[in-house]
Amino acid sequence: MSGARPFAVSLAVTLGLALVGATAAYHTRFVADNCNAAAPTPTSYITRDGSATVALRARFEGYQWAGGCWNDNDRDDSPNDPHEDPATGGEGGDCSGFTFKVWRESLDQSDSGFQQWGMLRNVHGPYTAAAFKAGAGAPNITVSKSVLTKMDALASDGHIGLIYATNPDGTDQIIEAKGEDYGTNIWTRTYRGSSSYTGVRRTGWSA
Amino acid sequence: MSQQGRRPRRFDRRRLVPALLGVLAGCTLASVTVGLGSSAVAQRAHSEAGAVFDATHLPALLRLPGERPRLVYDVHCVPEGVDDPERGCDVDGTVFFREDSREAFRAQKLQPSSSFGMRQLTATVPIDVASDTDGYEYYAEIRTGGRAAPILLPAGGAHAPHRSLPLPNASTVELGSHVFGNADPGERVVFARWGDGPRDVGLEPGRSLPAIGASAFDVTDDGKVVVLLDEAHRRALRFEGHEPAPTSVSLAIDGRLADLATDMDGSMYVLESVAAPGRTPLVRWFDRAGRELGVVETAERTPAEIRSGSDGPVVLQHPSHQWMPVADGGALSPPRAQARKAAVGRPVGAGRQVVVLRRGAGEILAAILAGGRVQRSWRIRSDTPLGDVQLAEPAGNRLVIVSRVFTHATDEFTVLVLDGHRLGRQFSTPSDEWAEAAPLGRFRLVGHDLYRLGSNASGAFVARYDLEMP
Repeated sequence: MSGARPFAVSLAVTLGLALVGATAAYHTRFVADNCNAAAPTPTSYITRDGSATVALRARFEGYQWAGGCWNDNDRDDSPNDPHEDPATGGEGGDCSGFTFKVWRESLDQSDSGFQQWGMLRNVHGPYTAAAFKAGAGAPNITVSKSVLTKMDALASDGHIGLIYATNPDGTDQIIEAKGEDYGTNIWTRTYRGSSSYTGVRRTGWSA
Repeated sequence: MSQQGRRPRRFDRRRLVPALLGVLAGCTLASVTVGLGSSAVAQRAHSEAGAVFDATHLPALLRLPGERPRLVYDVHCVPEGVDDPERGCDVDGTVFFREDSREAFRAQKLQPSSSFGMRQLTATVPIDVASDTDGYEYYAEIRTGGRAAPILLPAGGAHAPHRSLPLPNASTVELGSHVFGNADPGERVVFARWGDGPRDVGLEPGRSLPAIGASAFDVTDDGKVVVLLDEAHRRALRFEGHEPAPTSVSLAIDGRLADLATDMDGSMYVLESVAAPGRTPLVRWFDRAGRELGVVETAERTPAEIRSGSDGPVVLQHPSHQWMPVADGGALSPPRAQARKAAVGRPVGAGRQVVVLRRGAGEILAAILAGGRVQRSWRIRSDTPLGDVQLAEPAGNRLVIVSRVFTHATDEFTVLVLDGHRLGRQFSTPSDEWAEAAPLGRFRLVGHDLYRLGSNASGAFVARYDLEMP
């Protein structure tokens, strides 16, 4: 019996330290272990319905500041990443990286064509939320917020979200990569009326 | 103290053996655990794309004479294992109508259509149904092949269908063009600085996150206590009367743009917005001291707001766009029961409901229902775009509506006091949204006092407006 207590204590301490270390390492391994640098597939057209599908597949997959890689298992495989670090290699896009992939844009800002990026392709794209807000890039324009429709965006200097549906009370269901504690999902938002937000549209949709 | 107690202990090497064994066992267990976890992640990461099946619908809750609604359901469907997001799967659906809640539903097949690149299922309401003076009820069932369960919209199906009500006698209120810059800041009744002190209110952490804090508030029915939800610190701050400092009440919440409703007995309901994987967001119920009384999931993925009602708290939930009771008879209601007791209008006491529909860029239809029939209704038109309707609630014989008015460059809230068949009073308030709050958590009406949650770079505050008309 005299050896039981030191055994238990050292077991617990070692196990705890090992798991904490491994967990921290695990959080920084999602991109390294799963993501790729595959070239996008050029496509001849995109529809809003198809982009909604791209967005829905990113639901529940987490958030990563400056990120752009996720799988489709409906859970954040790197939860609780540090808030203050854009380079933790976790799962998910950030708001602008998510929008870039959903809108299937090119890394070349002068190219308004359509590029299908794989979910596990780790790409953020060249635009920040503020750049989207300014309508930067050949495919993107600013439009009146009154005429926005599904898969158009509302962008501020620090955030961008996509309209998924409009509600009877004038709010919108927005699909967005909101933050590490939020992940990527659909929420009710009032961005449309807020003067911080501008309406942004990706051009070239097929009817 | 004895001599023996002071004597240094003799080092015994044998005592090291169990400790070393513990270290060895810990390392082995940790390796196995991490290895298993990594392989599981790797397997998931390389699995094929999952199926997508979702539908949304903007219900025709209110309509003007002569309007015959076309019901539109946006449907997204891609089979499992198909990477191409443009390759949809086969979907079909049926909409069920009835004019009277005592009748059986009539089925009508939804027709495939598309608009702006959206795959849709649509139906034009039959003329005999659309012309019924008391309106009609409807719900849709949308199906696809494979293993996906049919989607019911609204979620309660035949138990709690959507309702479309005609407004033959709506009073028209013309607002014209909104004049910005004359907003009334109101009387500030509560202020809390941003910070981590006992009187402060916190901001959610995250450099990449916009400022989020003091996500919601509520006011007790007697108007004596303002409760500010300090979600960043997982607490409520109760400001009572003229007490200079708030009372802090710890709450076991996850926060994240949570909404708040207080009950008459001081208990609090917190509606969270982020759910665990595969689940829906939670409503947590606390007593006045912060002790948790219960937790229940919402029926739907996107709850928008929570309000106290005469029969308990109700939550506006999407995609059904219905008010669902989350408690019944003093006990929390499970999700299925919430969906089956849903209503298109917010219950406002005495058997009445308020239904609101913002449509187009500058029009709001609003109705007070009593006994399920339209009692009074309004059609509000504005030359300046109208945004979110933050509040629509009776105050005595009047209806108070707070809606955002906006342009590309600015926004304010316009407060409308609708008195009988005319606009009794109108004024505007600043939006004061330095920090983001729950989407529909900005306003509360208590008696004839309107309260507004605002924020600036210094902190969060609540302002009050007296709506009593001379």
